[in-house]
Amino acid sequence: MTVGDFVERLPLTVVAAKNGLDNQVTGGYVSDLLSNVMGFAAAGNVWVTMQGHQNIIAVASLAGLAAVIVAGGIEPEKETAQKAESEGVTLLTTKLPCFELVGQLYQLGIKDA
Amino acid sequence: MQRFVADLHVHSLLSPCAEVEMTPRNIVWHAAEHGIDIVAITDHNSCDNVQAAMEAAKGLNVTVLPGMEVETKEEIHFVVLFDKLRQLLAWNQIVMAHMSGRLNDAKRFGAQFVVDAEDNLVRVKEEMLLTSLSLSAKEVAEQVDALGGISIASHVDRHVYSILSQLGFIPSDIKLAAVEISPRTNRQDIVQRIPTLGRWPIVTSSDAHTIEDFVSGPKTVFLLEQPTVSEIRQAFDGQNSREVVV
Repeated sequence: MTVGDFVERLPLTVVAAKNGLDNQVTGGYVSDLLSNVMGFAAAGNVWVTMQGHQNIIAVASLAGLAAVIVAGGIEPEKETAQKAESEGVTLLTTKLPCFELVGQLYQLGIKDA
Repeated sequence: MQRFVADLHVHSLLSPCAEVEMTPRNIVWHAAEHGIDIVAITDHNSCDNVQAAMEAAKGLNVTVLPGMEVETKEEIHFVVLFDKLRQLLAWNQIVMAHMSGRLNDAKRFGAQFVVDAEDNLVRVKEEMLLTSLSLSAKEVAEQVDALGGISIASHVDRHVYSILSQLGFIPSDIKLAAVEISPRTNRQDIVQRIPTLGRWPIVTSSDAHTIEDFVSGPKTVFLLEQPTVSEIRQAFDGQNSREVVV
């Protein structure tokens, strides 16, 4: 499935880098500790977090992630959206809490880390 | 230039996680007894015991620096330090305006005591201190700087509440005077493990929550003319022969 497939099926808002909607999603990762994401998220993962700091974009770019979803109704900072656009990292938001979102992603078939 | 032994990160009994023995008077008396020349009182998101510590230090050869350990919205801890109590109180106004509004549960987190310079209980602080403010790391550093203070990233080697654990790396737009490492590591090891940390001055502090930790924990030695934050800032920047020695 692609990032765009999830956007069609789940209450996700595309904040930046629409061109990444064609990215294939290989698996998922959840963490609010960016040091941990750098060490353990795999390329092609969709990453669910509640951190809205612009460093999430650098980390996602470094790890080659398919998309970042900022969950729980957290508004990413202005710089984060700008950086996502300039770095081409697809940034999504949702009002769903992380647990609910991950459950739904899992049901749609994202089962690998 | 004089040699000053400094502990820039010490919790009083206002911090819910600190022991009640950490009264301002007990801290400064132990500082005097153990040759600790500079002590920063840095309670979580609060500073109600700083004035008592400054009063208790009168007549002793100990300088109390007004400080606070701030928790940003990313759950990063910064030690912030000022030269004057009024600067810290101005900063505290900003802190209070960005608190969660939750109240402390003393049974679960520990009690938060405000005391005077003679160890008398003044009141119990009700706001929950051990939680994040709604200010970002960048905002905290900027506003502290605007008030004339400095920000030091707390225990960057730890896996919780550290700028590195929370943000992965130190963003270039955050105005940090230095980074602090916890007693669990040392300068050589941390710079070997995370070479980019070599860009910042590194301080070692006790982060004491007990008198034993305070007395035996790591300190930082500075070469300064006067024991002030502005001179410590110069030492970090390597200016005017001020230095961080160890």
